[in-house]
Amino acid sequence: MSGYNIFVLVKQVPDQGSKAGINPDGTIDRAKAKRMLNPFDRYALQAALHTKKAYGGTVTAISMGPPPAVEILMEALEHGVDRGFLLSDRRLAASDTLATAYALYKTVLYAGKFDLIFCGLQTTDGDTAQVGPQLAERLNLPQITYCEDFAIENGRVQARRIIEGGIQRVSTGTPVLVTVANSYHPLEYKSFRGAWRVQQLARRQEELKQFIQTIDLDMIGADIERCGLKGSPTIVAATEKVGEIGGSCTMHEGHSPEEMVLEIIKNTGIREYLVAK
Amino acid sequence: MSEETKPQQAPETAPEPTPDVSQFCPKGDVLVVAEHILGELQPVTLELLGAGRILADKMERKLLCIVMGHEIGDIPQKMIEYGADKVYVADHEELKCYRTLPYRRALVDFLESLPEPPHTTLLGSTTTGRDLAPRIAAHFDTGLTADCTELDIGPYEHKSKVDPTKIGLYPNCLYAIRPSFGESLKARILGPWKNPQMATTRPGVMIPNKPDAGRKGEIIKVPVNLKDEDVRLVVEETIREVSKGIKLSDADVIVAGGYGLGTADGFELIKKLAACFENSAVGASRKVVDLGWIPYANQVGQTGKTVRPKLYIACGISGAIQHRVGMSKSNIIIAINKDPDAAIFKFAHHGIVGDCYQIIPEMIKQLQENKVKREVQAVVGTH
Ligand SMILES: Cc1cc2nc3c(=O)[nH]c(=O)nc-3n(C[C@H](O)[C@H](O)[C@H](O)COP(=O)(O)OP(=O)(O)OC[C@H]3O[C@@H](n4cnc5c(N)ncnc54)[C@H](O)[C@@H]3O)c2cc1C
Ligand SMILES: Nc1ncnc2c1ncn2[C@@H]1O[C@H](COP(=O)(O)O)[C@@H](O)[C@H]1O
Repeated sequence: MSGYNIFVLVKQVPDQGSKAGINPDGTIDRAKAKRMLNPFDRYALQAALHTKKAYGGTVTAISMGPPPAVEILMEALEHGVDRGFLLSDRRLAASDTLATAYALYKTVLYAGKFDLIFCGLQTTDGDTAQVGPQLAERLNLPQITYCEDFAIENGRVQARRIIEGGIQRVSTGTPVLVTVANSYHPLEYKSFRGAWRVQQLARRQEELKQFIQTIDLDMIGADIERCGLKGSPTIVAATEKVGEIGGSCTMHEGHSPEEMVLEIIKNTGIREYLVAK
Repeated sequence: MSEETKPQQAPETAPEPTPDVSQFCPKGDVLVVAEHILGELQPVTLELLGAGRILADKMERKLLCIVMGHEIGDIPQKMIEYGADKVYVADHEELKCYRTLPYRRALVDFLESLPEPPHTTLLGSTTTGRDLAPRIAAHFDTGLTADCTELDIGPYEHKSKVDPTKIGLYPNCLYAIRPSFGESLKARILGPWKNPQMATTRPGVMIPNKPDAGRKGEIIKVPVNLKDEDVRLVVEETIREVSKGIKLSDADVIVAGGYGLGTADGFELIKKLAACFENSAVGASRKVVDLGWIPYANQVGQTGKTVRPKLYIACGISGAIQHRVGMSKSNIIIAINKDPDAAIFKFAHHGIVGDCYQIIPEMIKQLQENKVKREVQAVVGTH
């Protein structure tokens, strides 16, 4: 196959928009929570698919997570990804970003040759933006983080990234790892054909396995000591619910604009700041 | 930060015999990695020195600082004035502008050259700090906590038997405290087993020390030896927009518009509302700046301006964390958004769920009437 070998890393996260599975102490019961594709990874997926469309190649989606995470790989297939790998293993439980990046590194090597790796900016549950750069370190790759525009000209990557107070234009050869910002183009709708094809596949599990492979730590030859809790240099020692969040805002809803604005003007003292005549 | 945010261990101590963990009790100092953009010092560095000083004093260690760059002028001296005891300077042409790999090389080499790894290493939670810190942490297989809003030093007893080599009582651990799950939880992350223990801190949160021009410290040059592979990526251009005219940071009232306005024309309405107030200015989210609806100078947030007006009215802005960090310290925040679940309502003080195009004109109308009423009252009052 010609063109670029494009990898995209996607994670399934709890849907925090729905209240299901949110414990009273604010932690998440992952078994009960609704699941979704990490919203930031949609931009990474778009970057990967756009690159394939514009410059040719194949897109491989990679995810690490419990078995239900296969859902997001199916979703990725519907959008036009060519194949997926799900690394799923109980020994990965309680991995921090370093252990996650190690396991993903072994998975990337297992998945074969690559020219470009796209990651999301961050996850909504881990929320660290660390896994991408840590994976790049393991693979000894240059990286373009906070990327909001991406093109390939004469075999060279040209990208625009966000920095404090502005932007930066950078260029590099391949391979390179890119983390895609949420100011990149939103993920296009899946095509009817793509969705239909995956629906058909879902009925034929054997055939589906040709497209989505579930793998474990033994298959990728990972060092168990570097995975899961053991391989994680950090632990969460305590969590505390932050009181002020979601409660201190006086909401005005469901009334006429006149009434709501009047309430605001009465209660906030904003009159004080009006232009004096 | 652990991907699993369930506590695995409570930090309370128990009177069990504890194995010797002295091998894990580092003697190292606290290191701050300074950040500048083309020689312009970033405020987060001064904040880090403030926070780092407290940690170092608690453990009776030194506060170190490393400045990487090229021809960086008086930055090292400034680091001492703000609290550093020793400042290391890595000066190299290729370090003039931040780039991951050359900076990574310089920092890794520097850390490896120290007789003892630092106990703690701190960077800013900026696009630079969050680009560099994970590379360093991965290289040294050490723990890193992103975007901390509090730091402290304290004891920790690890009792979990999953990994027996980790059991023990650790006297001086970095407590890296950060919001998680959409800011609804605060998590305390620890990693006393490996050094340096690393964290990035959210800009605008930590408090810098008052500069002391008489403070004494050491400035030490360190060698920089880059490899060819470190310059694989080229920075073609760095565009930093300097704001002209608008003084967002001095305004008493900021009316800000976001993508919810739908079109660039929406800013006409924003300007009209702003004009109702004395000493007011127009703010914006990055998204609309990117779309060219309004100049960059109006952008509020992590990569725009940090503002603290008496009144902030956010119109059609979702309240993304990068916007929030730039305006959450405003005295009164009023949000107008048609989505009742928008994140902005989690930290605004007053919220209106509604369409900007209905609410804002109504607000302008009422404020203008109000003004008239007040004037009438004032006139009546003088008689
Ligand atoms: C490294 C980095 C740095 C960044 N720096 C910044 C920064 O400095 N500042 C910043 O702002 N962002 C920054 N961002 C971007 C940030 O993540 C968000 O994407 C951005 O703030 C979203 O802008 P918004 O709220 O205008 O748009 P959206 O998130 O699209 O929100 C639009 C809102 O308008 C509401 N709405 C729609 N129609 C109406 C209507 N008719 N009436 C009322 N409400 C309506 C919607 O419900 C929605 O909540 C940064 C991102 C990254 C990755
Ligand atoms: N378990 C995972 N499986 C696949 N990709 C992941 C996983 N965790 C993190 N990533 C990737 O790394 C990015 C940053 O994640 P994080 O460091 O958790 O904020 C995500 O947007 C994904 O692209």
